[in-house]
Amino acid sequence: MTIPDTPSPAGDSGEPRRRLHPLSPLLHGAKSIAVIVAALSWNTLGQVGFEKFALGVFVLAAGVVVFALVGWLNTGYYIVGKELRIQDGLLWRRNRAIPLERLQSVELRRPLLAQLTGLAELRLEVVGGGKTEAPLAYLTVRDAAALRERLLVLAGRTPNGSAPATTQAAPAAPALERPLARVRNGDLVISQLLTPQAFFLPVGVAFVVMQFVLEGSWTFIGIASTMTAMAGVLLQPLRRILQDWDFRLARDPDGRLAVRYGLLETRSQIVPLHRVQSVTVTWPLLWRAKHWMHMRLDIAGFAGPQNNSDKRSDRLLPVGDPETGRYLLAAVLPGVDLYALPTAPLPARARWLHPIALRTFGAGLANDVFVTRWGLLTRELQLVPYARLQSVRVVQGPVQRLLRLATVYADTGGGRSAAAHDRDVDEAWALAEQLTLRARYARVLGAAPSSATPFALDAPSGGDLPSDWPLQPGGRAGTPFGGGLPPGGALQPGGGTGTPFSSGLPPGETIQPGGSAGTPIGGGVPPGAAVQPGGGVPGPAAAPAPPAAGWPAQVDDAEDAFWRRPSEP
Amino acid sequence: MTEPPAIVDALQPWPDAVEWRSVSPKLITVELIGRTAFTAVVLIGLLVGWVLAEHWLWPVAMAAVVLFGIWRTIVTIRAVKAWGYAERDNDLLVRHGLLVRRLSIVPYARMQYVDVTAGPLERAFHLATVQLHTAAAASDARVPGLPPAEAARLRDRLTALGEDRAEGL
Repeated sequence: MTIPDTPSPAGDSGEPRRRLHPLSPLLHGAKSIAVIVAALSWNTLGQVGFEKFALGVFVLAAGVVVFALVGWLNTGYYIVGKELRIQDGLLWRRNRAIPLERLQSVELRRPLLAQLTGLAELRLEVVGGGKTEAPLAYLTVRDAAALRERLLVLAGRTPNGSAPATTQAAPAAPALERPLARVRNGDLVISQLLTPQAFFLPVGVAFVVMQFVLEGSWTFIGIASTMTAMAGVLLQPLRRILQDWDFRLARDPDGRLAVRYGLLETRSQIVPLHRVQSVTVTWPLLWRAKHWMHMRLDIAGFAGPQNNSDKRSDRLLPVGDPETGRYLLAAVLPGVDLYALPTAPLPARARWLHPIALRTFGAGLANDVFVTRWGLLTRELQLVPYARLQSVRVVQGPVQRLLRLATVYADTGGGRSAAAHDRDVDEAWALAEQLTLRARYARVLGAAPSSATPFALDAPSGGDLPSDWPLQPGGRAGTPFGGGLPPGGALQPGGGTGTPFSSGLPPGETIQPGGSAGTPIGGGVPPGAAVQPGGGVPGPAAAPAPPAAGWPAQVDDAEDAFWRRPSEP
Repeated sequence: MTEPPAIVDALQPWPDAVEWRSVSPKLITVELIGRTAFTAVVLIGLLVGWVLAEHWLWPVAMAAVVLFGIWRTIVTIRAVKAWGYAERDNDLLVRHGLLVRRLSIVPYARMQYVDVTAGPLERAFHLATVQLHTAAAASDARVPGLPPAEAARLRDRLTALGEDRAEGL
């Protein structure tokens, strides 16, 4: 129930300024009571006694509510063209204009109190904002959903594009959505019990009990404050369970990803798929017996890794079995098969830098994504679509120079950069060149999917490029580098099939050109093996053909069986 | 293409395809003035300490500072000479660093904005710094020590090439 404000300051826009829901200041006040109590802490309670404490909290809370009320009177939002404008501020009036074409995702968040009152908070993630821009708290659920749909439509680039820019009645009707995945709550609980924190919880409790037994001082306040301090760290699994409860993923009619989760605070987030900057898949050590994984996706709007613990709203899958993960990844990054991603191992001399974990590092160029993997205990795999690459860096430290190694970073707009650590120098250059080339193709194709040849490449064969670019799998079987990409600039034509890093490198130095069909870096997943759907589990997912004698001799063998699909259904 | 290069220099990728441009050697002077000033301040501080409280550690520290300054001077000269950039058709390459060598490849299409800055010392020597920003915070495309005309040319070229894309992501 947003109230159109009569003296609209935006008279020229034609749209009245809307206010937030009248209950908002009360809810804000209630929220701040918790903050006040936390700030005063148990010690104060012990010193001043309960009545005074309650009185103090009440006075402060009342003050906050009055303050919030005045703030509410001064807050409003309205849409002008392709901008959402938000006015707020009491002493310092702010009038923010949020360009909607920069909108990355919209989240509808309902804390416990808001659920009780039927309200919701709308949070916008915008490019370039270090923090969440402009939380609109609170609106009624219906208004919030309608506004979200309207903002997303205005933000544009919806696949069908035909949706009118008018407010639909109840756009969040779940019937229209196609469910993708759902996490069983039992699995969620088990997965969170299988975390280091959960294992240490009994130890922590025992420690506290021991402490009090030894000291013999059983004061309520002492125990309470110790427990509060411990809870922050040790109850993280519990918090995750509460946050990720009833995790559901769906695809809305426009092809966007709709994520819903939460028990006490429900969140529902809509992410357009072309906003996904990278996907990280993690296999924690303790989940390995179950072959479980969790997946995160990075969006440009979310703050960086510095406050990762709080900003975990970018999760894609809190816990999932291999089939779910594969299915979901294919839904988020179309055409990507989690178990057929080609990665190349490090050269053996990188053992000096990674004495134990050498075999866990890998990098590869799949058809649409750049793949890196690493991690001995907790294994991780990061995927960056070429179309989302921002820049490419090659960094070589002194030790790496001695060993003729270099690290290639692929920077994205959100989250951390994908890093291919300690590659061979020649390989690193080829990798960097390939990344820039592929990023350019992906950009151009993504921007203008219909037009035939919009780019002016420095390649002589610029004419018919998109037709045989490796986007079409199987177009030229097994020619990952040489085939599809233009023989221009630094790229030398790969000499037919399967030269993995033919670009810019003289043939014969480190690379044996030859019939290595499953070239790891180069996305040349052999057409047969990659597209095997389910069914009989293929043993080696990446390299069925005998590799060439030269460089990519050992592709994902031995313990890298981990990266493949487990041999159980 | 017949003869494979004997040594692949980490800072010289795709040697045939890229024409590196170096930054102005005047940047060495600028850097050295800053370094000398810093060293002098530290030395004066140590000298004051020596006068106030006599101890053999003070002159040792001063000698260490001087040695460090000399070493940094050599490094600075080499580092400035190692700094280079290249404009290709679709991206800007920037390389720098001696101990840790870095090369950034930033496509023009990903440019968010261009910074041109010039500190007082740089202005005195008619130099400017051009920095290209993308949506990725990790992107590292900074070219210091450019003559004003070159900086303006680079800025205009970058903005012109990056203009066709407002979305940025």
